[in-house]
Amino acid sequence: MSGADTDPRAPADVFAVDGEIGPDLARIDWSAHPLGPPDTWPQSLRTAVRILLSSRFSMWMAWGPRLSFFCNAAYRRDTLGRKYPWALGRPANEVWAEIWDDIGPRVDTVLRTGEATWDEGLLLFLERAGYREETYHTFSYSPLRGDDGGLVGMLCVVSEDTERVIGERRMATLRDLGSDPSVIRTERETLAFVSRQLARNPQDLPFTLTYLYDDGGARLVEATGLAEGHPAAPATLSLDDPAAPWPAGALADGEPVRVALDGPVFTDLPAGVWPAAPAEALLVPLRQQGGAPYGFLVAGLNRYRALDDGYRGFVELTAGHLATGIASARSYQAQQRRAEELAELDRAKTAFFSNISHEFRTPLTLIMGPLDELRGRLPDADEQVRAELDVIRRNGLRLGKLVNSLLDFSRIEAGRMQARYEPVDLAAVTADLASAFRSAIERAGLSFEVDCPPLPEPVHLDLGMWEKVVLNLLSNALKFTFDGTIRVELRGEGSTAVLRISDTGIGVPAAEMPRLFERFHRIENARSRSGEGSGIGLALVRELVTLHGGDIDAESTVGRGTTFTIRLPLGTGHLPADALAPAGTGRTPASAEPFVQEALRWLPADPGAVVAGDDPAGGPVQPLSGGAPARVLVADDNADMREYLTRLLRSAGHEVHAVADGQDALDAVRADTPDLVVSDVMMPRLDGLQLVAALRADQRTAGTPVLLLSARAGQEASIEGLEAGADDYLVKPFPAAELLARVRANVELARLRNHHARWRTALVDSLQEAFFVCDADGTVVEINKAFTAILGYGTEGLPYPAVHPWWPDREAEPEAHRQVAAAFSTLVEQTRGTYTVPVTHRNGHRIWISAAFNQVDEPDSGRRMIVGTFRDVTAEHYAVQRETALAGLSMRLSKADDLTDALLGVLDELRKLWRAAGVLTAVFGDLPAPDVTATDPAARWDTLPQERRQALLALRDTPLLTPVATRTHGAGIAVEHPHGTMALWIDLGEKRPFTEQDQTLLALLAGHIGQGLHRVHQIDQQRETALALQRAILGPARLPAGFAVRYSPAAMPLKVGGDWYDTVELPDGRIGIVVGDCVGHGLRAATVMGQLRSACRALLLQDPSPARTLAALDRFATLLPGASCATVFCGVLDPATGLMRYSSAGHPPAIVVRADGTAELLRHGRSRPLAVRPGQERPEAEATVAPRATLMLYTDGLVERRRQPITAGIARATDAIQQGHHAPVEALATEIMERLTPDDGYHDDVALLLYRHPGPLELEFPAESTRLAEVRTALRGWLDRCGLAPAHAYNILVAAGEACANAIEHGHRDHPGGRIRLRAAATAGDLRLSVTDSGRWRDRDQPSGPHRGRGLVLMRALMDSISVTPGATGTTVDMQARITP
Amino acid sequence: MSTSLNLTTSDGPDGVRVLAAVGEIDMSNASAFADALTEAVRPDGEPLVVDLTKVEYLDSAGLAALFPHADRIALIAGPLLEPLLTISGLADLTTVRSA
Repeated sequence: MSGADTDPRAPADVFAVDGEIGPDLARIDWSAHPLGPPDTWPQSLRTAVRILLSSRFSMWMAWGPRLSFFCNAAYRRDTLGRKYPWALGRPANEVWAEIWDDIGPRVDTVLRTGEATWDEGLLLFLERAGYREETYHTFSYSPLRGDDGGLVGMLCVVSEDTERVIGERRMATLRDLGSDPSVIRTERETLAFVSRQLARNPQDLPFTLTYLYDDGGARLVEATGLAEGHPAAPATLSLDDPAAPWPAGALADGEPVRVALDGPVFTDLPAGVWPAAPAEALLVPLRQQGGAPYGFLVAGLNRYRALDDGYRGFVELTAGHLATGIASARSYQAQQRRAEELAELDRAKTAFFSNISHEFRTPLTLIMGPLDELRGRLPDADEQVRAELDVIRRNGLRLGKLVNSLLDFSRIEAGRMQARYEPVDLAAVTADLASAFRSAIERAGLSFEVDCPPLPEPVHLDLGMWEKVVLNLLSNALKFTFDGTIRVELRGEGSTAVLRISDTGIGVPAAEMPRLFERFHRIENARSRSGEGSGIGLALVRELVTLHGGDIDAESTVGRGTTFTIRLPLGTGHLPADALAPAGTGRTPASAEPFVQEALRWLPADPGAVVAGDDPAGGPVQPLSGGAPARVLVADDNADMREYLTRLLRSAGHEVHAVADGQDALDAVRADTPDLVVSDVMMPRLDGLQLVAALRADQRTAGTPVLLLSARAGQEASIEGLEAGADDYLVKPFPAAELLARVRANVELARLRNHHARWRTALVDSLQEAFFVCDADGTVVEINKAFTAILGYGTEGLPYPAVHPWWPDREAEPEAHRQVAAAFSTLVEQTRGTYTVPVTHRNGHRIWISAAFNQVDEPDSGRRMIVGTFRDVTAEHYAVQRETALAGLSMRLSKADDLTDALLGVLDELRKLWRAAGVLTAVFGDLPAPDVTATDPAARWDTLPQERRQALLALRDTPLLTPVATRTHGAGIAVEHPHGTMALWIDLGEKRPFTEQDQTLLALLAGHIGQGLHRVHQIDQQRETALALQRAILGPARLPAGFAVRYSPAAMPLKVGGDWYDTVELPDGRIGIVVGDCVGHGLRAATVMGQLRSACRALLLQDPSPARTLAALDRFATLLPGASCATVFCGVLDPATGLMRYSSAGHPPAIVVRADGTAELLRHGRSRPLAVRPGQERPEAEATVAPRATLMLYTDGLVERRRQPITAGIARATDAIQQGHHAPVEALATEIMERLTPDDGYHDDVALLLYRHPGPLELEFPAESTRLAEVRTALRGWLDRCGLAPAHAYNILVAAGEACANAIEHGHRDHPGGRIRLRAAATAGDLRLSVTDSGRWRDRDQPSGPHRGRGLVLMRALMDSISVTPGATGTTVDMQARITP
Repeated sequence: MSTSLNLTTSDGPDGVRVLAAVGEIDMSNASAFADALTEAVRPDGEPLVVDLTKVEYLDSAGLAALFPHADRIALIAGPLLEPLLTISGLADLTTVRSA
């Protein structure tokens, strides 16, 4: 490594990473700054600043005792605003003085505990744009550590949520405002509802006032956020009072006005949820379509938000909703008033008809008379004139017929009908009337049968009335019969004449039969040749028949036909005498012509007589004034009306297509949607209302405007038409100019027609979140502006069928593709849900979105649709990913035992993070070959491919912490490693982009890795030093046989303390045993202990007398600070005999527990602690550690408990030995430590030393039979020390001998030169022996040879248990023998 | 160092032949013991008395040398060896006298 002063990447370069903030940082006079010049900065600060500046995420950091402020370009742009560059290098609490109360405690926590904090959507008032601004931020504070690992600063990663939080809040208000549109309210209720919703958003609307205009002024109707009677909310406003708080007059012009709230009336406005009251208000007129505003809304403005487009749009949408609510409430009130008027109208109607009908007759007569004359005089006039005269005549006749019928009714109702009954030949009269219809019926393709044989006597009747009866019935039959026969049959039946008129028509449903003869009743939806009809024909027939003393009834089967039967009594008895007249004197019958003419117009025209309206080419097309010609579809079953409308509309320049009924109209609209449909209401097959309903039900035609025409006047009919969805309604008769005006208005308004659609579009587009609608198979059919802003795909590409173009590429990014595919299946299968997935922006960038969706059924079609919203969570996603990665890395680094372990952990984290095929590092240090560490354990520098080695070498020479990414394969970065520059390479293994965000993250992580490795390295070195030291001072590395020790220091993590133990193997074969306890614990006590231990050891070697050793140690301790009052137990043990001489310097007594369980405390030889009275002699005592007895030395930490005498602790320890003295001494040591551990652990250092006499015997010898004798000798001696009776000892000797003989014979017959190990150990109650050879038995349980088989039998017989364990490297025979004391 | 064993065969005045072993018998010298037995055993007549009183160690190798001659020998053994001779079943095939 080159030194810091020659490293080209070092200090001065720190700021060069970024071209925006870097230069400004460089301009700071760092020499006068507490942090000092950058070239004196610690590596950790330089790393942190470099990470900060190179990141595209918004970040700031604070470093050092004054928390000096640094930030990057993103933070400057998003948050710092006008405080830049003033803030750079200043103390953070000065930079963020206004929010320090909020963030100060968080910063403190991070610096105190080293734990990161995380806050989501925290409200902060920032002064970055010249005013205190309401802002929301999601941020984390992470600790920054110095080169020594200490906490010296913190890094804050911020993403601003202001737009989202405020947008959601405003959306909630707008959504609530539109939440209940189904209930039509009174104006009062509407205003109160809106007011309640506005009051729920005091943040954006601190106060609101709603004023409505009335006579010459404005009246306050609702207020939120202001108390009643507040001077800023006067109950009435004059339009021209300049002193009024609000400019009511100016708002009547329809434009919003912004008002500063600085007048005296505004002095005590309430602050509401904010610290201070609004300083401005926005006044928005409540606009009325086509009229002056209803009033205006005063919205107090949140002074902590600028009145930007979003805020202004929100207030205006709110006002718009208020205006719409007022409009619908007022319209509803108007309709209710009209309904009441209608009832009154109906009562007047009957009277009106009777009065007016006969008034028609005069003008009709004056029309028809001259008309007939005109036709007679113009027989040779041109075709056009004759055709128009015919139209006039036909409709004159029809009108006359209607007027006559109405008059008849009026007369009948008034009882003024004057009938004259004369005797007539009914058969002849009826047949004559029928014959008038023959041509019309036959032209309709029906057969006509007339069967009227003469009756025996004349029938008295009024000829005029009879004529109406017969013609009405025939007309009716023709109208409803489409094939088959119409039949007229007359019979005399007793004293009655019976006339039957039957047809094979559509029939009458049974439900309609009772009302068949009811006045004005018409059967709805019946298929007929014409929708025309007054509904009075049959009613009149019945009235007329009744006048004759007869009756009429009907039989009908739907689909089969109908038969009307009239019965007239013969004779005159049933008739008023004064109405009888002689034959031939009655009223001259009216002509049948009106009936026949009318019927003929129902039938298809003659081939030669093409109706002008059916010919698109016919007629001149004139341009529509003020706009393009409209394409109009006309539907009317009346051919005259059809022609008339066609001519009229053509004359206005429209392109007209005419059809004869609703069904044809529907087909025509579906085939080619016109700009407008003009339709009659009453039509056969499909009437006008049904046509409108059908058009509205189909999404393709729902927007086509429809103008209904009908003779059925009155508000009821008009409401029915509009409710069905018609756009306009015109009552016949109508002036031509009126029709043309309405047609034009409807065409022009067509696009602006739907209030709801516009409101919805505005709402959806004002959403800050992206909005989409898809159909059941996932095709996106509707999106809003935010959708386009986030994904880049606009409405022009609709619909977007799945797989959508924003899905990640299946080949290049299989994992991302899979995530999106999984989310998509929940979208189309679940009823609701949320998901967060990666998607690809149209420009190719990776973004993350978080979506929520719901299934809804479309109200009109009932189709299942999916409505969803999503927002761009890319920043959050990467923030979470970064935090997770940092946490993972920190965890790995903190758990690592050494540098290699740390690096392996880091590589593993990186591999998981990027799902990489492998991660590789090469450290270019002092060694000749770079040191390679990789997730692939087999990787070595020599075996790496040449191009990889080249790439790593190139990476070494790039600037530190600057990622280098190839297009598709992976990325690398240079990091500082304690041993040199480390090149780190992430191999993605598949074609997958390493995005900019990935690079930023890699740079950030690499910085942490570099610091972390340095820290681990430092800790590593410290720990190794400490361990070496510890090993040097604690105790002997190897213990003599039979000993076990435990050591537990009170102060972690040191493994040494003030207590110690020691064993010293003396030249004469005896063993010095020392256990001591210096005052205190921790490092200080440990240093004293180390010296005492060494001194004691030297003294024992020089003079193996415990008393003299301690006396000499007294003198030594006097000179050693901190050694005074240490307690020591010192003994010299003869391992052959168990005899021990000992002396104690104030130490707790050693304990001996014999094989039979009896215990003895070694209380003799006791004197004062060290250095208390140096120079005085010390006593010495002798004790015996009997065969299989256990000796325990310890320090007081093992036995001392608060509020208990030490004797209780010693008794507990004695008991623990007694409990465990059948266990091997190592196991016993563990057991004692565990048994005596207090609930909350040891409070003091604890040293424990155990010796069991005799120590285990361990022999190793060549596998030769000649060595057996000496092995037996050693074993014999040991068994003797174990205190075994001779016979018992002999048994064990033979068993062991057999085992050894087996080992020689079987284990080594084929492998000469091997060795055999024998181990024997005693506990209080048993002996355990094991013999291990280094060979392999041929057959473990059946050794060949008779006497070897006998050997095993002997071993089994002589020992209590035996087991043979074969292994790859040898066979072990374990034997155990119990000892009964 | 090989295992020490002294074998002495003597014919007593009563005509009884005695093989006296002193030391230890294990696999390293069992063949010598076996050879001595074979030599000392009389093909007919009085059984050979094998005196093991001074044997401090005897294992299955020594027993293996004794078994083939079980019906022509009588054993004299100390208390240490007695349990072994019983366990091995040799005591059932020949007479064992305590020293």
